[in-house]
Amino acid sequence: MLEGLVSQESLSLNSMDMSVLERLKWVQQQQQQLQQVVSQSINNSPELLQILQFHGSNNDEFLQSSFSQFQMLGSGFGPNYNMGFGPPLEALDECISRTSSCHMEPVDTMEVLLKTGEENRAIALKNKRKPEVKKREEEKTEKKIKVEAETESSMKGKSNMRNTEASSDTSKETSKGASEIQKLDYIHVRARRGQATDRHSLAERARREKISKKMKYLQDIVPGCNKVTGKAGMLDEIINYVQCLQRQVEFLSMKLAVLNPELELAVEDISVKQFQAYFTNVTASKQSIMVDVPLFPLDQQGSLDLSAINPNQPTSIEAPSASWETQSQSLYNTSSLGFHY
Amino acid sequence: MERQIINKRKRVFSLQPNKNPNALFARRYVSHLVPALKKINMNKSSLKTNHQSFEKTVKHEVDMAFALSAQEFAWSRFLQQKLLSSPHDDLISTSSSPSEILERSSKKQVGEKYQDRDEEEGGEIKKRLKELQKLLPGGEEMNMEEILSEIGSYIVCLELQMIVLKSIVQDNTS
Repeated sequence: MLEGLVSQESLSLNSMDMSVLERLKWVQQQQQQLQQVVSQSINNSPELLQILQFHGSNNDEFLQSSFSQFQMLGSGFGPNYNMGFGPPLEALDECISRTSSCHMEPVDTMEVLLKTGEENRAIALKNKRKPEVKKREEEKTEKKIKVEAETESSMKGKSNMRNTEASSDTSKETSKGASEIQKLDYIHVRARRGQATDRHSLAERARREKISKKMKYLQDIVPGCNKVTGKAGMLDEIINYVQCLQRQVEFLSMKLAVLNPELELAVEDISVKQFQAYFTNVTASKQSIMVDVPLFPLDQQGSLDLSAINPNQPTSIEAPSASWETQSQSLYNTSSLGFHY
Repeated sequence: MERQIINKRKRVFSLQPNKNPNALFARRYVSHLVPALKKINMNKSSLKTNHQSFEKTVKHEVDMAFALSAQEFAWSRFLQQKLLSSPHDDLISTSSSPSEILERSSKKQVGEKYQDRDEEEGGEIKKRLKELQKLLPGGEEMNMEEILSEIGSYIVCLELQMIVLKSIVQDNTS
């Protein structure tokens, strides 16, 4: 399931390698600058937060220019990055392990944190699940680098706010830097203006944002969800859709049971081939598929009209209504089916 | 021009069958389902079973193939457990015949109309989440976030399963 996404990621990473090397040099410069801060504040998180904010407010001008390349990278990662939940985090892990194999240890955390614009929560989740890949000797240096990477990320977050328009949570000073310290599992969240800063509400907010992200993902999958607003309506649509699908599966299995005696099950080879051809990215050979393999001819038997699938003319699925007949005539946009992880 | 078409026709299969998760699921599903159906076929001729239990067996196999071809997800594990624990013959399918399901859904919609005005949004959402929990195999043991994550994959797998079943059925009717 992850291979497709990982290959995309690795492609984007390949193009970024040169700038990564530049960043590496920059990072080493910064290490000297921030070393004192790091050694003082590594144990105490509230102080750390203050210091981060302090640094952020002072060094903005200076760092903004040098962060332009980070933004480039960040935006470069953006379009390639599919929003998702469990699996993309593992893809992230793979990407990072890949870069670490290229001896860019200090940089990989940077890369992760570069995506802070939108993927903050993904990173936060990742922290909790990150496997212990790194060796003991590297941990110390890593901690320092992670902390300073944090400062950069928070400052980058600030500069990012000014330059990128598309980010959904660009409100004055909102940014959420995720700490990558393995042993301590903190999520450093900068509170918005005028909002409570105690732990519970922050955690609540993080949770709510996670949930809304998932709802957006479901909106893409379930047809007809775009028109409905609000969680309740969307959940309704989702429930309807799932019920509809389950009913259709049942119906089909009944039909299969009816047919079963006459089933020519040597057909399995043909079926498998059909599916392979159908599901792969066949933009080039779409024509041939349409010509050669009549996958879904219109059902002549009347009652079940499920099959008006035509890859060349994508149509969207209609919202299922109460009656069985109209439900069975839903049209698919098959190119939208996919694991958007 | 025609030769190009002919050449294209030859290469219809993917060169990297494992890359596409949809194709992977479909292939696994078919590889589970078809042998099972064959076995049922063979057994059926030996025993004299009535139509309904035969349907149930087929449904059981369909669900089993579904659960086995999507091992990555929590709901598939739950589904597998449920299927394995309930015996073949006495299998009471969780979703009954289409007419009953229609009744159930229409009742739910009617009932909700009256309650919608009275309850606040939090209550509504919880109600719907409960419904969702019932639909998703293993949903009862998950909290809200997990349900939302699992439901996405469940829906996609259901869609794929539908495509597979449809094409099997159509292959044998046409």
